Amino acid sequence: MHPLLASRARLGAYLLGWVPIALLLAGIARSQGWTWVEAVALALPLCLLAAFLFLSAWFLCRALPLGRTVEGLGTQGMAWGLAALLMGGLWAGLAWLSAYLLAWLPGLGALPQRVATALPVLTGLGILLYLASVALSYLLLAQDRALEAERKGAELQLLAQESELKALRAQLNPHFLFNSLNSLSALTALDPARARQMCVLLSDFLRRSLGLGERRLVALREELELARAYLAIEQIRFGARLQLDWAVDPAAESALLPTLLLQPLVENAIKHGIAALPEGGTLALAAEVVDGHVILKVDNPVDAEAPAPQGLGLGLRQVHQRLLGRFGSRARFEAGVQDGVHRVTLVFPLETES
Amino acid sequence: MKALIIDDEDLARAVVREHLAAHPDVEVAAECANGFEALKAAAQHQPDLIFLDIQMPKLDGFEVLELLEAEGRRPAVVFVTAYDQHALRAFEAHAVDYLLKPFSEERFDAALAKARMLHDAQTAMPPAPAAELAASARQGRPIERLVVKDGPKVTVIPLGRLDWAQAQDDYVLLRTEGKNLMKQQTLASLESQLDSSRFIRIHRSYILNLDRLVRIEQDTKEHRDAILRDGTRLPVSRAGYQRLRELWEDA
Repeated sequence: MHPLLASRARLGAYLLGWVPIALLLAGIARSQGWTWVEAVALALPLCLLAAFLFLSAWFLCRALPLGRTVEGLGTQGMAWGLAALLMGGLWAGLAWLSAYLLAWLPGLGALPQRVATALPVLTGLGILLYLASVALSYLLLAQDRALEAERKGAELQLLAQESELKALRAQLNPHFLFNSLNSLSALTALDPARARQMCVLLSDFLRRSLGLGERRLVALREELELARAYLAIEQIRFGARLQLDWAVDPAAESALLPTLLLQPLVENAIKHGIAALPEGGTLALAAEVVDGHVILKVDNPVDAEAPAPQGLGLGLRQVHQRLLGRFGSRARFEAGVQDGVHRVTLVFPLETES
Repeated sequence: MKALIIDDEDLARAVVREHLAAHPDVEVAAECANGFEALKAAAQHQPDLIFLDIQMPKLDGFEVLELLEAEGRRPAVVFVTAYDQHALRAFEAHAVDYLLKPFSEERFDAALAKARMLHDAQTAMPPAPAAELAASARQGRPIERLVVKDGPKVTVIPLGRLDWAQAQDDYVLLRTEGKNLMKQQTLASLESQLDSSRFIRIHRSYILNLDRLVRIEQDTKEHRDAILRDGTRLPVSRAGYQRLRELWEDA
C-alpha cells in the first residue's frame, strides 16, 4: 500500500500540494491565449489525474532502493528516465483524450485544437512532474526507514529493560537468605513459636518477590508490602538494633512505579546503615503525595567515621536509571548524607491504574 | 579451653553457644557483638579459641584477627559466616576451618575438633597470618581501609585519607590527616593490598596516594621529587617515575 493512500490526512495534504501546480498550469495556458474557462477546465482534471498516476513512482523507487554508492545510479537513472518518458507521454495522451471529451461541453469546442499544439509542452511537463514524484517517493521511503529503525531501537531497549528486570528478580541477596536461615536455626531451640513466625515471614517475602518480578509496573502498595515483609525478617535478625519509622500516606499507595524499585533502597539502608552500626538505628520510610507527585523517602543512619562513598553504588544507580527510564524528566532522584543520615528521595508523577 | 563468640547478631551467637553446650571442656569466656568488644575480651580472657563472624560493623573479622596478631595473640579460629563460600574455600589451604551459616551439629563438631587439633599442634605449624587469609578471601580485590593498633587505641584509616606510606625497617609509617601512625607490616606487603591505580610505589621506601600528587619536579638529571598538595616533597626513583608515566600513558 502506498504510504500517501494509507491515511486521509496524508492524502489530503498531498492533493493540496497539487493545487498550486494546477494554478500554475492554468496560468501558463492563460498566457498562451486560452480563455479562463478552457484553462481551468483542463488543468483541474489533468492535475487530479497526474496526482494519482504519478504515485506509481513510489513502487518503482521501492523496487530500486538507493545504494550507498553512486555505482548503479546509471541503470537506475535509465529506469527513471524511461518511466518518466512513458508516464509523461501517457499523461499528455490522456490530456488530449480529455480535451476531446470536454469539447462536447458548450464553450470548450476549441479545446482539442489548443491541446494538440500544446502536446510537446505537456509531455515535457509530465516528465518533470514524474521525476519530482520520484524524488518525493525516495524521501518517503527514507522517512519510513528512519521510523522503522527508531521502532527497532525502542524494541531493543524494551528487551534490554526486561532482561534487566529478570536479572533483578534473580538477584535475591544470598547473604540475607543465609543469615535469615541461621536466625531460624537459632530460634528452633530458643523459641519454637518465633521460629515458626520466621518461617512464615520468610515464605511470605519469597512468594511476594517471586510474584512481583512478573510485572513491569506495580502499585506502591505492593512494593511497600514486600519491604514490610523483608524488614520484619531483618527485625528478628537485628533485634533492638533495627527500629522502624513508617509514615505512608494512603493516597500514595496506588501510585504505579517500576517493579522492585523500593526494595534495593531498603536493602541498602540495612546493609550500609543498620548492619554497619554496632548500636543500629532507625530506618525511616515515608511516602506522601504533593501536587500530583509521589515523594518517597528512605532514611538510615550511617557510620560518621566511615568515609563518604564516592558516587552511587550499583544498586542506587540502577534505581535511578529505571526511575528516569519510566518517567523521564518528570521524575527526580536524590541521594546523600546529611547530619549522619543517608537519605534517598524519589519524586515521580502520581499515575494510577485506570 | 576458653572460647570467645564474636558475632554482631544475637541469634547467631546463640546457635554457637547452644552447640558448645555439648562440649563441657570448652568454656565460653565471653560473647562479643563487635570487633572492639572482641579485642577487649581477648585481652582480658586470653582465649584459646574464637568463633569469628566476618561481616561486622566497624571492624570486620579479618581486621579483628589482624589486631589480635599485632598484640601477639593467635588463638585457634573458626570463621562462622554467610560470606561467599567460594572465597572461603581458599581457607582450607591455610588450615583454618569455617562454618557456613546455617550449619549442622555434625559440621560444628567437626570444625571444633579440627580447631582443637590445630591448637595443640600450633607450636609445630604456625597458622597463616590474618593478612594472608584476608587477601585470599578478597580474591584479588584491593582493601578499602587499614587498621592500626596504636598503644591501646585502634585507628581505622579509610584509604581515601591515607596520604602516603614510608618503609621503616619492619614497620610502615602511615601519614594520614597530619598524623603519623606506625604499623607492623612491610611496604611490599602493604603495596600488594592496595589498589594499584590509586597508590603508586614511587620509591623503594614510599607509596603515594595519587590523589595527593600535584606535580613532579626534576632537580638534577637523576633526581626527581613529588610535590604534594600540602607542599610535602617525597623522592621519586627512576623506577617510580616510570610507573607514574605508564599510568598516565594508559589514562
